[in-house]
Amino acid sequence: MKDVAKIILLGLVIGFPLVGVSPYLLHVATLIFIWAFIATGWSYMGRFGLVSLGHGAFIGIGAYTAGLLFNHFSLSPWAGMVAGGMLAGLVALIVGWACFRFGVMGDYFALLTLALGEIVSLLLVAFRDYTGGSLGFTLKRVSSSWFYLQFEEKTYFYYIALSFLLAALFLWWYIDRSRMQKALRAIGEDEIAAATLGVKIVKYKLRVTIISAFVAAIGGVLYAQYVTYLNPHTLAGVGPSLDIAFKAILGGMYSLWGPTVGTTIIVLLEEYIRVNYGAKYVGVSQIAYGVALVLLIIFMPKGIFGTIEEKIKSVLPKRSRTTSPREKS
Amino acid sequence: MEILFLNALANGILLGGVLALLAFGLNLIFGVVKVIHLAYGQCVMLGMYVIYTLKAIYGVPLILASTVAVLVMGVWGTLLHLLVIRPLLGAERLNQLLALAGLIIVFENLAHVIWGADLRGLRVDLPVVSLGNIFLKTSNLLAFAGALVVLGILYVVLHRTYVGLAIRAVAQDRECASLMGINPGRIYLLTLTIGGALTGLIAAFFSPIYSVHPHFGGSFTLMAFIIVVLGGMGNLAGGFIGAFIIGVVTSLAAVITSTEVAEIVALAIFILVVLVRPQGLLGARRAR
Repeated sequence: MKDVAKIILLGLVIGFPLVGVSPYLLHVATLIFIWAFIATGWSYMGRFGLVSLGHGAFIGIGAYTAGLLFNHFSLSPWAGMVAGGMLAGLVALIVGWACFRFGVMGDYFALLTLALGEIVSLLLVAFRDYTGGSLGFTLKRVSSSWFYLQFEEKTYFYYIALSFLLAALFLWWYIDRSRMQKALRAIGEDEIAAATLGVKIVKYKLRVTIISAFVAAIGGVLYAQYVTYLNPHTLAGVGPSLDIAFKAILGGMYSLWGPTVGTTIIVLLEEYIRVNYGAKYVGVSQIAYGVALVLLIIFMPKGIFGTIEEKIKSVLPKRSRTTSPREKS
Repeated sequence: MEILFLNALANGILLGGVLALLAFGLNLIFGVVKVIHLAYGQCVMLGMYVIYTLKAIYGVPLILASTVAVLVMGVWGTLLHLLVIRPLLGAERLNQLLALAGLIIVFENLAHVIWGADLRGLRVDLPVVSLGNIFLKTSNLLAFAGALVVLGILYVVLHRTYVGLAIRAVAQDRECASLMGINPGRIYLLTLTIGGALTGLIAAFFSPIYSVHPHFGGSFTLMAFIIVVLGGMGNLAGGFIGAFIIGVVTSLAAVITSTEVAEIVALAIFILVVLVRPQGLLGARRAR
């Protein structure tokens, strides 16, 4: 029953561009896929209590690495994704190792990563000779090409972004089945108890952090390729970092579909307000967006999907659960 | 070059005074309510706009405009507590953090809608004071002196009055304080009101120095954070010392390189402190 619904939904999503919808709708859908991809990657670590408010750092590193390599050396963004992802992974390795080695947790981890995101953003501005500083830079235009990941038609990007999102969801499922999930869940619930039982805390935390950073970097490359413009304030720093966390948490970071649902709702909300009210009062749409975020956090602390799922689970007979929400300490 | 350094040093110390006030407000709120007020700098920004509106548009004298700003921001702090912070008191720490981060978006765009994106300055011309080769702006000196006086008053209030005692008691142990007949809810409200009024005061000190724009608050929130963590979260004396360290370091780094590098240096210090000494310079060691 549930699987049938999923297949129908997938069919609808795949068929969506074929029924001649407007390019604007395709654009919104593509944005949702890209950000949902990043938010899902964010939740890999977020749901085990590793709440990063600095994923903008990894997005920025990925996007800028691929973008600069492409502009200066005409390197294919596919290779750029790997390069950017590895660089982001390396940064995640260094920072993550330091954090986990010294036992930085909770709020402190969130604030430290927030600072990391801002540092990357500032570095991108400071190296303005290469990166164009605050003004950012535009990617070289080439005609539609798979090799250079640029297309005149939006349909291509729609499917590419969708496949990446599905891959991220698959990776979630894969992690969920692995030994890593059990270890991380134990760590997320009680780190000291897990350590006494012989769980290698630093190793598992590092592994999931690097995977998450790698995904974020790839997402950054995708986004930059899609809009063909890179800017330190939209790709790194406090703003985008918080946006990602908002999307994942509002959707519900403990459930597979949570980040996707959250991203969909936020992007639709943002677009709806922008289209209907944005022209009349510049900024008012953003105020409404901010107020909506605050209200959602106050009234739905477990996230939208999380709250719905909890309701459903309390009605349906109990089945084995994948991850339980972290106990409040 | 030496003169440049000396000037940077002196101005860094002056900046440190005002930053100390900023850090004090943040620290007080964290210490008592245990909430990290991510939108604190943005409140200062709003306060500066209040002063700007009164002074530049309605021609109200600066002193009066500042007084009004302090009152307005005090009320703003109260509202913030009632509408956002109080409903979140029982929520997860992360949700509190994110809600206040959401307020950043609200405040910045509010300023953008009402006052536009342009830089708004008061254009107060005050003479420059020179001590040998060191030149100091009177506005900076006034802000420094004012900040120290306010900090002194706050210290006396915290340590010599009943209300101050109650605030400190709640900061130390909420349950125990309520057993002693203190109403923590009321103390929370009071703390946020004082914190809000402080943003108005800081705005008054900043107004003659800086021009304000909607994104003015961001870097100051970050600075205040760095200071608070450097000094030890909730540790008022640590925040005071931290403010001068950060003030001097950023001021020197800005002279040697650029403002971005100065911010990076401050953030790097922050990360190092979190890693190596998370309890801050003056914090007591506790088991992790």
